[in-house]
Amino acid sequence: MLRLKNGRLYDPAHGVDGVVRDLYVDCGRLVAEPGPGSPLDGEIDLAGRIVMAGAIDLHTHIGGGKMNIARALLPEDHRRDPVPAADGMHAGCGHAAPSTWTTGYRYAEMGYTACFEPAMLPTNARHTHLEMGDIPMVDKGAYAMLGSDDFFLRLLAAGSDQQLINDYVGWTLHASQAMAIKVVNPGGISAFKFNARGLDLDEPHPYYGITPRKVIQTLSRAVHELGVAHPLHVHASNLGVPGNADTTLATMAAAEGLPIHLTHIQFHSYGTEGERRFSSEAERIADAINRMQNVSADVGQILFGQTVTASGDTMKQYANHRHAHPDKWVVADMECDAGCGVVPFKYKDKNFVNALQWAIGLELFLRVGDPWRIFLTTDHPNGAPFTSYPHLIRLLMDRDFRNSKLDEIHPDAAAHSQLRSLEREYSLYEIAVMTRAAPARSLGLADRGHLGEGAAADIVVYRDEADREAMFARPEYVFKDGELIVRDGRVVNVVNGALHAVKPEYDKGIEQSLRDYFERYMTMSMEHVKVKDDEICACGASTLIPHACGRRA
Amino acid sequence: MGTEPALCEPFLIHRHDRVFESCCPFCGLVCDDVRVEVEASGVRVERPDCARARSLFAVPATGQSRIGGQPVEAIAALRAAAALLAQARRPLIGGLACDVAGQRAALDLAERVGGVVEHMNGAAQFRNWLAFQDSGWMTTTLSEVRNRADLIVFAGTDASRFPRFFERCIDAGSQFGPLERTVITLGATPAGGRGTAHAIEPVDLAALFADLRIRLAGGTGAPNGIGGVPAATLDALLASMKAARYGVLVWNAAELDFPHADLTVQAMVELVRDLNRETRWAGLPLGGSDGDTSASQVCTWRTGYPLRVGFEPAGPRYEPLLFEASRLLAAGEADTLLWVSVFDPARTPPETACPRIVLGRPDMRLDAMGPQDVFIPVAVPGVHHAGILHRMDGVVSLPLQGPSPSALFSAAQALAAIQREMTHAAA
Repeated sequence: MLRLKNGRLYDPAHGVDGVVRDLYVDCGRLVAEPGPGSPLDGEIDLAGRIVMAGAIDLHTHIGGGKMNIARALLPEDHRRDPVPAADGMHAGCGHAAPSTWTTGYRYAEMGYTACFEPAMLPTNARHTHLEMGDIPMVDKGAYAMLGSDDFFLRLLAAGSDQQLINDYVGWTLHASQAMAIKVVNPGGISAFKFNARGLDLDEPHPYYGITPRKVIQTLSRAVHELGVAHPLHVHASNLGVPGNADTTLATMAAAEGLPIHLTHIQFHSYGTEGERRFSSEAERIADAINRMQNVSADVGQILFGQTVTASGDTMKQYANHRHAHPDKWVVADMECDAGCGVVPFKYKDKNFVNALQWAIGLELFLRVGDPWRIFLTTDHPNGAPFTSYPHLIRLLMDRDFRNSKLDEIHPDAAAHSQLRSLEREYSLYEIAVMTRAAPARSLGLADRGHLGEGAAADIVVYRDEADREAMFARPEYVFKDGELIVRDGRVVNVVNGALHAVKPEYDKGIEQSLRDYFERYMTMSMEHVKVKDDEICACGASTLIPHACGRRA
Repeated sequence: MGTEPALCEPFLIHRHDRVFESCCPFCGLVCDDVRVEVEASGVRVERPDCARARSLFAVPATGQSRIGGQPVEAIAALRAAAALLAQARRPLIGGLACDVAGQRAALDLAERVGGVVEHMNGAAQFRNWLAFQDSGWMTTTLSEVRNRADLIVFAGTDASRFPRFFERCIDAGSQFGPLERTVITLGATPAGGRGTAHAIEPVDLAALFADLRIRLAGGTGAPNGIGGVPAATLDALLASMKAARYGVLVWNAAELDFPHADLTVQAMVELVRDLNRETRWAGLPLGGSDGDTSASQVCTWRTGYPLRVGFEPAGPRYEPLLFEASRLLAAGEADTLLWVSVFDPARTPPETACPRIVLGRPDMRLDAMGPQDVFIPVAVPGVHHAGILHRMDGVVSLPLQGPSPSALFSAAQALAAIQREMTHAAA
């Protein structure tokens, strides 16, 4: 048994806000104080140190086909950040589209112990699990993409009842070993295959006739009724389009009060004011989130520099290709399932639009009052590589620092933004909410994201440095399932992580029509789409952690 | 190894005594509707009627290790391989025709020995990768072709190297109703024996596609046509392409076998992109045979680069031109060749002055083995053991079954064993 004594704990799941308390770790778990005289195998004095649970990233593109396209596309970016093999760690590359190995090491070195890939095509699931199997250190999970797959759209167009949809969604979660359901530009990826270049929330799909609103209503209900913890994860229509805030607000309403998570909402909070016809609608969006308790969001903050955008939203990525930097890009239709678009991007602080995007993201963070419903993401790598999280945390916690950065951006963008007037500074407690307790709760990870008895001993210890960027970039200690894996911001012990997947109940009768559909129209059989439980470890995860779901239907 | 490799169980899907529903690893289509029967004499393909599958599923379950052509115990061959790699300054880990587990093990070993990794189809792969890394592209996958393509243009290929391409992707049913598909071939033989063929040398295709781009942009194309294809034909071809609802341009980089063919690929993908301003088009690069898609996918996620990577002290180094296998061997820049080839016994290692370690199918015949050359027979994934293999489009990877277990090591096991022998020898 290990005692971590005298640390100052931030454990929002238990309302603990900076209380000095000892922690006891045994067999990978946090356990109760053993009582006087009990033998200890080790003890670390953490006086003056800050202790949190391991951080959880609920939206980060770490693996899967589109990331491999992004990697292959950008040798010039990798060349600037080569990673040698050392201390039991594999060689690889870093920056915008890091290798799988490096992704795991660098997440752990920042104190992250679980990462969730938000865009897994079911027909690409086996590949995604292979990639994630080579991401060490952290636990992993993935969200299956639905909503532009032809099987679902056929069901919807045929007016199938909700129960059948639920069965298909349940089947998909099992077949792809997923943790949640994501919808990307609802129906829009499919519409692009029929040559549509836009699809508004209430616009009928050019072939199926159904609307994105209907897709959201149906899928959010299915996810809810199946009892999946994480709400439908929505990448809304009209990403990046000036004036899309109206679509975003309407998308929130489309859930009709059921839980809904809007992802990278920064890219969906734009107005059309001003001479450049591009303005911030962060206030209106944040007000809506504050008002609607069924809505959560992650921000998708942009930070300046070179990165690469990788998305299932082929329709919008095709439209954005003229901004590609360097000038090369990929758009692919995939397997009557979805698609992907990869566009390298360089966000510039002297560019009006980019500068305002930066300010809009920060405004959203600061205007949404409840840190349990807004999550810290850069939509890695779309807004910025995940390695910029410590910098982002400092922007949120340090108003002087934030304002000094505001002085550096395009002056018109700074003038158009109300960011300077926002005085809020995030507290350590709020940071612990948005990076630990809240994502764990949103995903239904009962034994992660907190420091209570019985929790997995994923623990991070920071020095209490005034420079929060330095502090969050280099934890003094990181423990994964009770093992010390990082010391002073450097991996000291390479471990493997588990795969989390939900296992809702559903009627397997759906397989009759699926088997028939795949046989009649696809180039792979239904049986081979399914990733079996036994394959997960063969793909590379340490173990499969199944999460039961309580049916709500 | 027991009678059945541990990985087999999850992948065995329909087991009816000795008849197996199986995925076929022997070309880039990785057809997953194959039925094989295991008989005393080996594995027999019951369906489909594919000559390539029939011949390659038939493989003995045992093989003989050799050093310098002389039979040796398996362990002696592994130790000899380890000794060669231990003294090599820059080994080339080539061939790489194996499943995902084999690719992972090959990369582990390459990292350990400071080797360069390159696939046996590297010349073809890099015609695509160079174009891809310069401009990107718009592509599609096999089921999209099957369901949506109303015009398919084959450029410099008739797709016959992928025996069931037409059966699986063109002649099969579409969920969007009966498609009136048009097939046009730019080359001597009409693909699938149908549609129109316009004879043109592959080396002239780049000029043809550049000319079509000019015409599409409203410019004046070559008045006398390109490479024997008359101007009027080019105009008609372009008109058909513009009228397509979902057009697919198919090429096979392996058949664009001339210098700077990456520029031909680039001309094609740029036309595809231009056509997308008005209608939908996508490219379909044929390939993926001999595990080449898996090789580049695994190398990309582990290093960031799609092969032609050397493991150096500062990290992986990518040299898409300098790390071509034949160049490294000819220039003496690689001093040991490790060759992995488990799918096709005809894909033997190149002749070279440096020592060769060959992990090959048990029925691979090596003529003229040098005195130091090592041959280690390995099992075939999809026949002898389970595994995972990517299809040509990279999106789909399929579970291979092991209907006919063998006592031979898999490529992954042999590569790991060589690494273990290196560790023992160093200790």
